[in-house]
Amino acid sequence: MSHLTSRRGLLFGTAAVSAGALLAGCTSNDTEDESSAAGDTRPAADDKPGKHVTIGFAGPQADHGWLNAINDNAQKRAKKYADVSLELTEGSNDTAQQIGQIETLINKKVDVLVVLPADGKALTQVGLKAMRAGIPVVNLDRIFNTPQAYRCWIGGDNYGMGLSAGHYIGEKLKGKSGARVIELAGLDNLELTKQRTQGFDDALKNYPNVRKVARQAAEFTVESGQAKMAQLLQAQPKFDALWNHDDDQGVGALRAIEQAGRDDFLMVGGAGALSAFQAIKQDNGVLKATVLYPPTMAASAIDLARALGQGKGVGGLAEFEIPSSITLYSAVVDKDNVDQYMPTGFR
Amino acid sequence: MAPEPPLLSMSGITKSFPGVRALDGVDLDVQAGEVHCLLGQNGAGKSTLIKVLAGAHQPDDGVIRWRGEPVTLRSPIAAMRLGIATIYQELDLVEHLSVAENVHLGHEPTTTGFVVRGRAAKEATGRLLRRLGHPEIDPGRLVGELSAAQQQIVSMARALSHDVRLIVMDEPSAALDPDEVDNLFRIVGDLTADGVAVVYISHRLEEIRRIGDRVTVLKDGRAVAGGLPAKSTPTREVVALMTGRTVEYVFPERPAPPPGDRGTPVLQVRGLARDGEFEPLDLEVRAGEIVGLAGLVGSGRSEILETVYGARRPTAGQVLVDGRPLRPGSVRAAVRAGLGLAPEERKAQALLMLESVTRNVSVSSLSRFARAGWIDRGAERAAARAATRELSLRPDDPAVPVRTLSGGNQQKAVLARWLLRGCRVLLLDEPTRGVDVGARAELYAVVRRLADEGLAVLLVSSEVPEVLGLADRVLVLREGRVVHTAPAPALDEHRVLDLVMEGSPAS
Amino acid sequence: MTQHASPPRDSADTLAPAGRTPAWRGLWARADVRTLSLLGVLAALVVIGGVTKPDEFLDTRNLQLVLTQASVIGVVTVGMTFVITSGGIDLSVGAIVALASVWATTVATQEYGFGGILFTAVLVGLGCGLVNGLLIAYGGMVPFIATLAMLASARGLALQITDGRTQIVTVDGVLSLGERDSYVLGVPPLVLVFALVTILGWLVLNRTTFGRRTVAVGGNAEAARLAGIDVRRQRLYLYLLSGLCCGIAAFLLIVLSGSGQNTNGNLYELDAIAAAIIGGTLLSGGRGTITGSVLGVLIFTTITNIFALNNLQSDVQQIAKGAIIVAAVLVQRRTASTT
Repeated sequence: MSHLTSRRGLLFGTAAVSAGALLAGCTSNDTEDESSAAGDTRPAADDKPGKHVTIGFAGPQADHGWLNAINDNAQKRAKKYADVSLELTEGSNDTAQQIGQIETLINKKVDVLVVLPADGKALTQVGLKAMRAGIPVVNLDRIFNTPQAYRCWIGGDNYGMGLSAGHYIGEKLKGKSGARVIELAGLDNLELTKQRTQGFDDALKNYPNVRKVARQAAEFTVESGQAKMAQLLQAQPKFDALWNHDDDQGVGALRAIEQAGRDDFLMVGGAGALSAFQAIKQDNGVLKATVLYPPTMAASAIDLARALGQGKGVGGLAEFEIPSSITLYSAVVDKDNVDQYMPTGFR
Repeated sequence: MAPEPPLLSMSGITKSFPGVRALDGVDLDVQAGEVHCLLGQNGAGKSTLIKVLAGAHQPDDGVIRWRGEPVTLRSPIAAMRLGIATIYQELDLVEHLSVAENVHLGHEPTTTGFVVRGRAAKEATGRLLRRLGHPEIDPGRLVGELSAAQQQIVSMARALSHDVRLIVMDEPSAALDPDEVDNLFRIVGDLTADGVAVVYISHRLEEIRRIGDRVTVLKDGRAVAGGLPAKSTPTREVVALMTGRTVEYVFPERPAPPPGDRGTPVLQVRGLARDGEFEPLDLEVRAGEIVGLAGLVGSGRSEILETVYGARRPTAGQVLVDGRPLRPGSVRAAVRAGLGLAPEERKAQALLMLESVTRNVSVSSLSRFARAGWIDRGAERAAARAATRELSLRPDDPAVPVRTLSGGNQQKAVLARWLLRGCRVLLLDEPTRGVDVGARAELYAVVRRLADEGLAVLLVSSEVPEVLGLADRVLVLREGRVVHTAPAPALDEHRVLDLVMEGSPAS
Repeated sequence: MTQHASPPRDSADTLAPAGRTPAWRGLWARADVRTLSLLGVLAALVVIGGVTKPDEFLDTRNLQLVLTQASVIGVVTVGMTFVITSGGIDLSVGAIVALASVWATTVATQEYGFGGILFTAVLVGLGCGLVNGLLIAYGGMVPFIATLAMLASARGLALQITDGRTQIVTVDGVLSLGERDSYVLGVPPLVLVFALVTILGWLVLNRTTFGRRTVAVGGNAEAARLAGIDVRRQRLYLYLLSGLCCGIAAFLLIVLSGSGQNTNGNLYELDAIAAAIIGGTLLSGGRGTITGSVLGVLIFTTITNIFALNNLQSDVQQIAKGAIIVAAVLVQRRTASTT
C-alpha cells in the first residue's frame, strides 16, 4: 500500500503542482467549500495577478453528481483569480447544441476554451475550429479524436482506476488462497467501462490466488446499482471482495448489501463521492476504499487555461510551456488518507 | 354466347375460417361486358367471395380461371395485374392525400421510376373524372374534404386507372342520392359497352332490375341460384331464394287511433338550428308515436338527430323532454333525460365490437347494476338477457361477441341498450342500413311494438318506403328545411320524392 | 379470469350467421390459452433458471428478490394497463417516478418523516397525472404528445430539484421497510404492496363500472360517448390513476434504494408498455388484462434474474430480451389462432 500512496504523491503531484503552481495561498479548504477545488494547497508557482484571461467553459448537462462537481470546481476555481473571467454555457448532452455553444464562444473571442465534450469524437471538429481560430483548447477528460484539436488534454485514467482497484484488492487478499472477487461495472455502452474492467483484470493477473467470479453492469444510477447488486449477491453466496465502478451506483449497491444482510467481504468504490468518503471514514461497513476519478481536474483545467492565456508554464517543472497531456492518477482513498480527500468529495 | 370461355370462371370455391365455413363450393361465371349481380343476406358469403376474387383471401379449395386459364390470385396486386379491380363498401382511400395521389396510389406515374410526376398524375385523374361524369372534382383536393358520394367516384377512378377488365362493386349505391345513382348506372353502362365486366352487389332489388344482366344468389356460403336473368326473374322468387320467405317489406299495423292525437308530447324541439346544417326546426313526438324525417343525403337528417341528442351543439333553439329543457350539447344530459340514439354508423358509433352482447347492452345502464361502482354481474346478465329476449335477438345468448351478430341483430342489441336504460325517446338513424331484407320486417315490428309500449320514436331514413311504412307522421326535409308535414298514410313515395327534389308540395 | 375477446378478424360477413357456430365458446378457451401461454413461458424460464443455477435460483431468497425487483415496475405497469386499455398511452411514467422520488426525498420533505415522504410521492404522482389528464381530456391533446411533454418537464424538474445529486434517505421508518426484518411471513412489504395494487387493479378493471367504462372508451370512444359515458372525465381519471401508480412506485423505489435520484425510473415507460402488450393488452385499446401485464413483468424480471445469476453480460442480455419479446408475442398469436 505504501508504494501506492507514494506513487500517488508523485503522479498526482503533477496535476496538483500545475494547479497549485498558479495560486499560492489559495485556500480551498474553507468550511462551506466542501466540494470544491483541488485539495492540495501547497503553493508552487506564481498566482500574482497577470494579464486578464477570459476562459470559455462548455460542459455536458450536470445530471450526475460527478459532472455537477466538475462544474462546481471550474466555477469556484475561476472565482479565485481576479484576472480570470469565466464564460459558462448551459450544460448540454446534445452534441449539436454543444457545438453551437462552443461556436458562440469562439465568436465571442474568448482567450482560452475549456471543453468537456458530451461526446469527444463528435466534437473534434469544433475543437479544431477553435484551435485554427487561435483559441487554445483545454480538452477536459473526454478526449477529442486528434491532438490537433486541443492544446492540452487533462483527464482521468479509467484504465488506471481499474488497475488501482485491482492492486488494492489484490494486496488486501494476499495470502488468501482461492480468493473470489466480483465486479459491479458501470454502463456497458461506454468505452470507459471497458477500460476500467480491463485495468482491473490486468491488475488481478498479478495475484494468482485471486479470481474474478462474476461481473454485472449497472447504469451509474442508484436504482440500477441496487438491482444489479441484489442479483450479484444472490448469485454469489460467498466472495471476498467487490469492486464497484461508481460511487453513485454504489449507494444502491450498499443498500442491496444491507438488505441482504451481508458483510463478509470488502468493497472498493470508484470516483470519490462524499458519501463514500464518509462511509470509509466511519469504517463500519463493507466499503473500505474508493478509487479516485477526481472532479478537481476541472479546477486544474482552469489553472491550465489561465497559464495558457498568460503564456506561462507550469511552476515546478523545467519546461516553459504547459504539457500537452496530463493524465491524472487514480489514487486509492482508504481510511488512512480519507481526511485529506474529504473536501474534494462530491455529492 | 361465343365459344370462347367466360372472362372469369370460379368453380368449387371453398373457404373456411376458424369455426366458420364461409364459402362452400361456390361457382360463378362472369362474361365480358355483362353486369353480374351478386345477391345474398349478410353472412351469405358475398364479402368473402369478392375478397377471394380480389386476392385478399386465398381459397381453401376450388379453381379460378381467367379467360379459360387457371390462375392463382396470391395477392391484391396479382388480381390487379390481371385487370380485376374492387371497390369496397367501406372506402379504402387515404384522407390526407389528394384525389390524384389516391387514384395513382401504388402505381404513380414516374420519371426514372422514382420521381413522381405530379402533373401527369393530375391530368390523368382529371380525364378519368370527366369520363365518370364528375369534372367538378379537383384532382388536387384532399380526399378527406370530399363528400361520401365524391369519394366513391374517386374510388372508381382508381379502379379505372388500371387497365381493368372486371370491376367488383360492393354496395356502391348505399351512400348515394338518387341522381348520383343514375350517374353510377350510366358509368356502369359505359364500362360494359367497352367490354368490361361488372360484378355488382346490392341489397336493392330495383337497382338489379335496372342494370343487371344476370343474378347469382348466395345463401349460407352456397350459390343457391346461378346466372338467373336479372330483368325477368320475379322478385318473389329472388327473395325466396335469399331468405326462404316470399315477402319483402312488411310493415306493422298502425294503432287504430293515430297516437299523435292522444299521446302527450314527450319530445319537443323548438327552433333548433345549426348554422350551415339545418334551419330552425320545430317538432313534437308524443308517447307511442313514430315521427319520420325523410330527405336526401345532405338534407340535414342525421345532423338534426345528433343535435337533438346533444352530440352536436345547436346554434339556436332548445330540446325539451317532458317539458323540461335539456342542457344543449350534452349527450349525458340527453341520456339522463331518457333519450337514446341508434346511430347510422352502428359499428363506428354504437357498438363495442370486441365485447359481448351483454356488455354492449348494459353499457348505458352500468350504474343500475353497481353498488359503489361494483358491478353485480349476475343482475347485469339477467337484465341484458331479458332485454335481448324481448327483442328476439338471435342467437339467444348475450355472451356471444357482438361482432358475430348479423346487421339486424346488432341493431337489436343497440335497441336493447336503450330498452334496458328505460329510455323514453328513441332516435333511429337509418335503422335498417346493412340489415338484410328478411330481417327488416322483424325490426320494423320491434320498433312499432316499442312505440306501442309508450316510447316516442324519431326516425330518419333515406329509404322513403321505410319512412312511409313505419312512421305515423312524416316531416319532409330539403336542404336543412322542413318543406312538408303530413300523416304518413296521406303521402306516397312519388309525392315525397317530388317534395325532396322540388321543395314545394307539388301535385 | 380476465375478460378477453378474441382478436378481431374480418367483417361480420365472413363469420357464420348468428347462432350457427358457437364461436363464443372458443372465447373462454382462448382466454385461458393466452394466459396459459404466458405461464408456459414463465415455467420455461423457471426450468432454465433451475437447471443452470439450481442452488441460487430455486431459493426462497431469490423468489423474494425477483418479486421485489418486479414490484416497482409492476405497480407502474398496472396503471399503464388501464391507460392502454382506454386507447391511450402514458410515456411519462418513468419521469413521474423520478420526480416523485426526488421530491419526496428532499431534505425538507424528509423532516416530515415516513408520512411526509409517502404523502409527497403520492401527491406528486397524482399532480402529474392530473396535468396529463387535463391536457388530454379537456385540452384535446394527443396522449402521446401530452405525456411526452410531461416526460421532458418532469425529468427537467427532477434534475433541477436534485442538481444531479443523489438524495440519501435518512428516515429509519422508510429504510427499514426495505429490509429483511420487516418481511411479513417471509413476504417483503414491497411485494405486498405490489400484490395489493395488482388485486385492486384486477377488480377495478373487471368488476367495476370504472373498468367497464375504461374498456368501452378504449374499444370505441365515439360509441362510448353516444352511449352516455363521460369520456373526458373517464380519461382524466385514467391518467390520474396512472399518476397515482407512479407515486406509489416512487415510494417503493425510495424504500428499495434508500435514496431519490433524478435518473430513477429510466425507460420505465418502455418496460411497462412492453409488459402490458406481451400480457395481451391491445395497444389500440379496448382490451386489457391485469393478469397478463403482471405475468409480463414477472417474465421480464425473471429473465434479468437468470441472466445475472449466470453472469451473462449486458450485450447478451439485451439481445436475448429482444428475442424473447418477439418469441412471446409469436407464441401467443399462434396459440390464440389455432384454437
